[in-house]
Amino acid sequence: MEINDAQDARQKMLYSSHLRGFHWLILSLSVILTTAAWFVTTEQVHERAAERFERESLQVIELVKERMKLYEHALWGAVAFLDANKSELTDQQWKDYSNSLQIDRTYPGINGLGVILNITPEQRNSFIETQQATRPDFSIHPTHEESELWPITYIEPALSNEQAIGLDVAFEHNRYTGIKKARDSGLAQLTGPITLVQDAKQTPGFLFYAPFYKKGMAHDSVNARQSSIEGVAYAPFIMYKLISGTLAIDKRLVTLEINDNGQGLYNDLDSNETAEIDAKPLFTDKITVDFYGRKWQFVISSNLSFRKDSHSNQPYFILASGTTLTLLLLALFIVLSRASKQALTYADDITRELQINAQHLTKSNQDLEQFAYVASHDLKSPLNAIQKLVNWISEDCENILPDSSKEHLALLKNRTIRMNKLLDDLLDYARIGRHDFAPQELDLKATAHEVFSLLDHPKTFSLSVTEQLLLIPKTPLEIVLRNLISNAIKHHDKTSGHIEVLYKEEHGMHHICVKDDGPGIPQALFDKALEMFQTLKPRDKVEGSGMGLSLSKKTIEHYGGTLTIESDGVNGTSVIITWPMASKTTK
Amino acid sequence: MSINTNEITLLLLEDDDIDAMAITRALDKMNIGNNIIRACDGLEGLELLRSGAVPSPYIILLDLQMPRLSGLEFLEEIRQDPVLDKSIIFVLTTSKSDEDITASYKKNIAGYFLKENVGEEFLDIVKMLKGYWKIVLFPEI
Repeated sequence: MEINDAQDARQKMLYSSHLRGFHWLILSLSVILTTAAWFVTTEQVHERAAERFERESLQVIELVKERMKLYEHALWGAVAFLDANKSELTDQQWKDYSNSLQIDRTYPGINGLGVILNITPEQRNSFIETQQATRPDFSIHPTHEESELWPITYIEPALSNEQAIGLDVAFEHNRYTGIKKARDSGLAQLTGPITLVQDAKQTPGFLFYAPFYKKGMAHDSVNARQSSIEGVAYAPFIMYKLISGTLAIDKRLVTLEINDNGQGLYNDLDSNETAEIDAKPLFTDKITVDFYGRKWQFVISSNLSFRKDSHSNQPYFILASGTTLTLLLLALFIVLSRASKQALTYADDITRELQINAQHLTKSNQDLEQFAYVASHDLKSPLNAIQKLVNWISEDCENILPDSSKEHLALLKNRTIRMNKLLDDLLDYARIGRHDFAPQELDLKATAHEVFSLLDHPKTFSLSVTEQLLLIPKTPLEIVLRNLISNAIKHHDKTSGHIEVLYKEEHGMHHICVKDDGPGIPQALFDKALEMFQTLKPRDKVEGSGMGLSLSKKTIEHYGGTLTIESDGVNGTSVIITWPMASKTTK
Repeated sequence: MSINTNEITLLLLEDDDIDAMAITRALDKMNIGNNIIRACDGLEGLELLRSGAVPSPYIILLDLQMPRLSGLEFLEEIRQDPVLDKSIIFVLTTSKSDEDITASYKKNIAGYFLKENVGEEFLDIVKMLKGYWKIVLFPEI
């Protein structure tokens, strides 16, 4: 069983000394979880950024829409003013109106607020004359082939719009188309991209028209509107000026580009502040919005500030932590398995050494027993021969030998007997390990008495034994009892004595005590008494091989028991043997 | 069939001179004048038997530990011999080994004796033999 346990333990250690499936499973799980967490976080970050971008884009468009609405109100305000004005409008009146409106403050981004009147070519000269009454420089320009004229008559602030005064907007397609659409629809309308004459930088811009009609005339159909058209209130815009202010680049997280029918209206790239532009924007969106008869396409891209703001280290942190954790786990597993491997190697080394030692020990024990057996056996034959020869000499020469020689022969005989006994005991001792006796049922009392009766002892000695049935190997028990009882008799200091063999069961062991009422053994000599070939008295006084106790001890220990001496050195000796219960000795 | 006990020969297979002497002395002591033939080992014993030097009826007293051909080998041989296989054989040895005892009885020996148990000066075994051949019936050889 022990060997199996050790094998099991070794197997376990061997098992844990390799990275196993579940190690790899844990590592893979760790990697998968890390990747998943990283992926999910990245997605979340991206989603948040996308939402934000959408919000930013819509906000930009909303701001542009708001602006346009504001300008539309300004135009309709001007139309209302013109409609309310009973007399012919003069340059001065328009100037006053504009001033009280404070257009540059009320309508940031607007380049001016003006009036374009619709006249026929026939009215041209009288119209110029009328205007020249207050503004001698007034002229209508340039000339064109159209059948009607749309001269810019009033514009404020006049100074910055000087070039526009007298400009006939019918001269150019975009301006003309826009104004016709406004006239026909009765709605505020935009022109396509144009370059304002008053813009020294020649950047894209547009005009915003709101039509007004002759007073008191119906203008509920296209025809009615065409016939009753008086003119338009208008506002010129330079695109980059419109954008600057609330839509300035540094106030946005997006880059803006506005196109009208493929023509560029505005592009952040054209501005001076290109630092924020992201060459590879995270997000780009194209949104087309209807603006007063035009379709403006907003191309909105996230810029560097957006990238910076929406950048999150979270996914990388998660990835890094997860990877570190996985690596730590791997390192831990490797360290553990290596430790197991080392322990295993160490244990194997020790085991191998122990096995070798045990083999050596077993071998030398066997050699020793073999030697003891052979030696004692082979020594017996010559000894027997000597014994016989001594007998023959004593017999044959009884009448010839002097008394002293007879005495010597008697001593010689005595010594050969002693040596014979010594060899017998030695043989028994050597045989102990050679044969395992199986436990058998026996009666302790009967066995002890049988042993006692076989011993050569004076009739004055008596024996009492506890009645007990035992399951125990018979022969070894007999050897032990014979030696112990024989010792008790042999070493008794009186001519009579009483020997007790007592039994009890304790801790799963047989306890057998052989107790005599002899002289006892001093405690100092206990160890000596148990040594081989040791006698506590000269052999000539008490015959003995000196092997009885050590033979008993070895026998008992062979079966897993113990032998101890108890004595006060005065009142007898108790030799206590313990013997494992049979069930435990079965191997 | 009655046999004069004096005609019985004792074949002693014993390498130890003193043991052999002890047997002889014991026979002398018991005043038994039967013919004794001694061989020092199994091989010599077999040769004597096969050459007819041992007259029938005879009893063999066999030691186990002997040079050349041991007691057990001698038993093996003789039990395969068509003429000698019926021989009455007693084993007299110092070996207490269970293996030896069992092996010997398997070869149909008449008895197994330990030298240390046959009494001082081997008197007990000689007494036993004297009684034995007085009443035992011998095979025809």
